[in-house]
Amino acid sequence: MLDDVDLTCEAGEIHALVGENGAGKSTLAAIAAGEIAADAGTIERSGRIGLVHQHFALIDRLRVWENVVLGHEPQRGGAIDRGSARAFVRELGERYGLDVDPEAVVETLPVGIRQRVELLRELARDPGILILDEPTAALSPSEVERLFGTIALLTQRGVGVLVITHKLDEVFAHARRVTVLRRGRVVEERPISATTREGVARAMIGGEIPAIPAHEPTHGAIAVRVAGLAVPGAIENLSLQIATGEILGIAGVEGNGQSALADALAGLTAFRGTIERPHSIGVIPQDRLLEAVIPNWSLLENVMLGREHATSAKASWRIDRAAARAQCTAIVERFDVRAASIDAPLSTLSGGNQQKLVVGRALVDNPAFVIAYNPTRGIDIGATATVHTELLAARNRGAAILLISFELDELFALSDRILVMTRGALRGEFSERRFDREAIGRLMVSA
Amino acid sequence: MTLSLVLSLLALALVRGTPILLAALGGVLSERAGIVNIALEGEMTAGAFAAALLSYFTRDPWIGAIGGVAVGAAVGFALGFAATRWRVDQIVAGMGINLICTGGAAFGLIYVFNQAGVTPQVPAINQALWPMVVLGIALAAALQWAIARTPIGLRLRACGENPHAARAAGIDPLAVRLYASAIAGGLAGLGGVFLALGELNLYSDGMIAGRGFIALAAVIFGRWTPIGAAGVALIFGLLEALQFALQGNIAWLPSDFLQALPYIAALLALLGASGRYRPPAAEGKPYP
Repeated sequence: MLDDVDLTCEAGEIHALVGENGAGKSTLAAIAAGEIAADAGTIERSGRIGLVHQHFALIDRLRVWENVVLGHEPQRGGAIDRGSARAFVRELGERYGLDVDPEAVVETLPVGIRQRVELLRELARDPGILILDEPTAALSPSEVERLFGTIALLTQRGVGVLVITHKLDEVFAHARRVTVLRRGRVVEERPISATTREGVARAMIGGEIPAIPAHEPTHGAIAVRVAGLAVPGAIENLSLQIATGEILGIAGVEGNGQSALADALAGLTAFRGTIERPHSIGVIPQDRLLEAVIPNWSLLENVMLGREHATSAKASWRIDRAAARAQCTAIVERFDVRAASIDAPLSTLSGGNQQKLVVGRALVDNPAFVIAYNPTRGIDIGATATVHTELLAARNRGAAILLISFELDELFALSDRILVMTRGALRGEFSERRFDREAIGRLMVSA
Repeated sequence: MTLSLVLSLLALALVRGTPILLAALGGVLSERAGIVNIALEGEMTAGAFAAALLSYFTRDPWIGAIGGVAVGAAVGFALGFAATRWRVDQIVAGMGINLICTGGAAFGLIYVFNQAGVTPQVPAINQALWPMVVLGIALAAALQWAIARTPIGLRLRACGENPHAARAAGIDPLAVRLYASAIAGGLAGLGGVFLALGELNLYSDGMIAGRGFIALAAVIFGRWTPIGAAGVALIFGLLEALQFALQGNIAWLPSDFLQALPYIAALLALLGASGRYRPPAAEGKPYP
């Protein structure tokens, strides 16, 4: 996994650790924090090393303060001193700009707030070094700003912060040094001032980033027509249209009805109103592990899942294994899915490679309509480029594509038109690829 | 119905409910730590048989009682060990333990006493029956407080909800689960002691009669809280008491039906509870 890695994070600096999915970043973080053991080598630390996980390691049904003080509870007379535990959490939150109600049960909190809880938990242990694993993957732009504000406060107090990311914008906006990991080895380590975005990107993927195909103008007929859509508790009276050969981008902060919109269009939830859409549809779901794949199944089985009949030319009661294998192999090659074999369990693949397979499965049958929900969430530059290239290729073939994304950069790169979704309604329309980042950002957070 | 009849019915309910209550408290403890405790039945059986056996040979019922608790704890430790160190499926391990304990006790009767079905009469601690009832209720209150308010209680809950997060906080989930399972076995063993030496003065095959499973139903219906589980256990005790009171008084109702009352109630309770109550999130899932 890792081979002869040297990394130094100094007190009071922000150090970025970048690399593709499967490069070994999370493994390195877990070793540094003492969660798993290394085969060889040493770790020197001044003070504790705290780790904020990518998939938050919180206890959902406990209260915020219980999560924070777990393992070092303040006591009085054999019981936990709950008053001082709450006060401690509140104080810590005020000091670092992480306000959160100590009494709240974690599972009731949105993602951005949960991250604050995880930060509080680590800060409660007074770390010398804090490692943040993909901290911005699920945050809105304003939450990202806020997070880096907290990080700045930490570095002022002499804490060294190691940020694991593959978002180079963040690296160049905030970090002082950057270390690039590729296939378990350090391939570059320099001050930010002595490197460039392109240089770091090249070091990460070990070559040039594939160019994304151009937006060819298409003037298609309306392929998807939604009128008066309502989903209880999420959407009220929403209408939209998507033409063939068009990518409609939906911008917005998570939790504003995007899931309900995607589910209604995919036929996964009950709704009122009318939806007209082509029968052939490809879906890249929001949550890979929950909705897209069965991790214990092989690549082959996952590719066949839901399209058992698509593998055979003539409808048949049996699965054409040979045809399915050929198809799976084709997807693996076309989407550059790195796996030991198509019979390996999907769970043995890194997240980015799993995602490439999910995208491949959604696009392989050339559907007339594609729903792509955060299609590149948590995957690296190389894989992102592959996914973007394929989505644009599908568009250029005449597919209508609904792209729901929390990444403005992704929406700007792919969309022909962008609508902003807030509180279950669509507002603002930005067309002909004239996108105003500030206006969209304002709409996203407007009530 | 006269007042004295009601009082005697309630007293009987407490006595019948206490062994279920004790086992249910054990069930709450181990399940909150993340171990599904389907082995309560076997642990009660082991406790009851060991208590009778030791009391017979030492002629000291207190040694029998302590031995019964210890054997129950040992069985609980075995379940915990299989579930944590060997990562055996907890349902399978629990079923195995139940079979070994009931089968082992039946075999022990023949091997030791050369008679099937029942031990000879042994010295008992019938005078400790009511103190044990009080002890059970006090334990329920104490555990309720300990789970909700003490550091060890918080850590126990953490292991049942998310052992990985507990580990990151410096807690050893394997040790917590192992000890919780052992203490649970001890409590279920005490339930067996209560039946063999508290109410009676012998062990007989089938004397546990599914009380371990009823205790499991009480755990679920009591929403995994000691007070809740204890309350439900005492309600099951009341049903058993009612069955005694009604037997022979209602001619047209078959006595088999009355005897089945607590089990039917448990079944109905579980039907009502299914899907509505959430067990600890990591319950039954091996760690790591």
